Amino acid sequence: MQLRSRRDKLQFSALLLPGILVFALFTIYPIVKLFGMSFLRWDLGSMFDKSFAGFDNYRAVLSDKTFRIAFENTLIYTFVTVPGQMILGLFAAVLIHSIPRFRVTFRVIYYIPVITSWVIVSLVFRYIFNTEGMLNYLLTNVLHLTAKNVAWLNTRWGGMTVVMLLGIWKGVGWNLVVFLAALQSVPNELYEAAEVDGCGSVNKFFSITLPSIKPAILFALVMLTIGGFNVFTSIKMITDGKPMHQTETVLTWMYYKAFSAGQFGYAAALSFIVAVTLMILAFLQFKAMKNQNE
Amino acid sequence: MRKRHTALANAGKYLLLLIGGAVSVMPMIYMLSTSLRPNGALYEFPPHFFPRLSEITFENYQYIFTQEKFYLNFLNSVLVAIITIVLAAFVSTALAYCLARFRFPGRNLLFALVIGMMIIPGTTLIIPQYQLATFFKLTNKLAGLIPFYVAWVIPFSTFMIKSYIEGIPKEYDEAVYADGGSVFTVFFRIILPLSSPAIASVSIFNFLTSWEEFTWAMTVINDNAKRTLPIAISGFFGQHQFTQWGYVFAMSMASLVPVLIVFICCQKFFVSGLQAGGLKG
Repeated sequence: MQLRSRRDKLQFSALLLPGILVFALFTIYPIVKLFGMSFLRWDLGSMFDKSFAGFDNYRAVLSDKTFRIAFENTLIYTFVTVPGQMILGLFAAVLIHSIPRFRVTFRVIYYIPVITSWVIVSLVFRYIFNTEGMLNYLLTNVLHLTAKNVAWLNTRWGGMTVVMLLGIWKGVGWNLVVFLAALQSVPNELYEAAEVDGCGSVNKFFSITLPSIKPAILFALVMLTIGGFNVFTSIKMITDGKPMHQTETVLTWMYYKAFSAGQFGYAAALSFIVAVTLMILAFLQFKAMKNQNE
Repeated sequence: MRKRHTALANAGKYLLLLIGGAVSVMPMIYMLSTSLRPNGALYEFPPHFFPRLSEITFENYQYIFTQEKFYLNFLNSVLVAIITIVLAAFVSTALAYCLARFRFPGRNLLFALVIGMMIIPGTTLIIPQYQLATFFKLTNKLAGLIPFYVAWVIPFSTFMIKSYIEGIPKEYDEAVYADGGSVFTVFFRIILPLSSPAIASVSIFNFLTSWEEFTWAMTVINDNAKRTLPIAISGFFGQHQFTQWGYVFAMSMASLVPVLIVFICCQKFFVSGLQAGGLKG
């Protein structure tokens, strides 16, 4: 569209300006500031305040053992919860797609964990997985699977397991809705043709359903990978990094370094490393998506 | 024979779906049942899922609802959510309209930024944003939450609304211009009303984002009276001291109910936003 009159140009600017202002002030400026900070010696109470540090902060982050654990935890969280939610969500979507009645009812029920806030579900999971909680009672006293109560939140892998279970449980409904919509858009003729050829239902799923819903699968993959790297509230509420910072993720560790330890330069470098890692990951996924579509 | 086979298969599917559905809502039911029991009896042995009838009490709710603070926290959450939704809807729709309909210098860069900000975790920017909030003297104020929430939801909202506007025929715009209408006429008479389903759908997501936001609110707000619900709830949960689970869950229920009401009323919009993403890829 060409803007002809002066009035139209002014009105166009009036519509564009608020968005640009918000962007410039609250995102672009902070990104630039963060980048600058990551090259400064900036510790609360240090005498070398805000002097240039070169790549020292980056070096400090990359050689920090706790950062390595946090990065590992984040990767494991992402690699476990993303496929976990997608497979369960897709399975539920296929089931719901194939039943004659109560489709909407099931969709609503499965979506309830998605809309319940992270703070609330984290607290409920913490309560259930407490050493004296309901789950241990079931495992020890009812099912007799363990001799004594499991201290879920006292070990790295116990804590991570609880947080990952929560991540999967909370995400299934979202995947279900995305995949159900995709399933409904697959033309029925494809299935009919396959039936004429004598395809079984498993065969139909892999040769027709999966390829047809590929855009939805890739959309979910990109969104959930971003979501996996964002994990914060559940860790904060359930383990708070305990024991001994063994269950930190990149963002909780960054938060700790900035707001508890006061090491802003370090935290800024860490933030930048996380942002760049995620940009690269998303870029690779987008590229894979493009290649597959060609 | 075949009919009986189908009936059996369907019964199996319903059974599986019922089990999954039970797992989905069990934690919330457990939360409700815990909130209805006396605070002292929460870690009794053996624990039971449902409270005994004789045990049911509303004392946790009575306690929460007689605290003046609770109403303040609730009101804060409502206020922040509403202002965030309205501002975000206006700014993102205007931005989406400009991106969808006009060529201008920097347009591609702007759109790349929109996409890029959907990828970078918002929390990574928390340090410079905190400095910004301090600079503008926005800490410990509700006004310290709103502009940042708006900034966080704009990329996704703009992206969704833009792809919706691109589906509105350009002939409508041209007809308005031919009649002597201006850019504003097109925006307010055509784009805003026609893209209202997309705006409604992103607004619901923005409501959820604002309603449940935890990290930023925890960082910026210290004053009890200025807290939003998630921070108030987590405040009842003592990391080091004794946690009063009855109060925690009564308050959680009070914050969950509005979300459930919005969800059940606007179910259609919840779903349509996600579907668009999944189909276009």
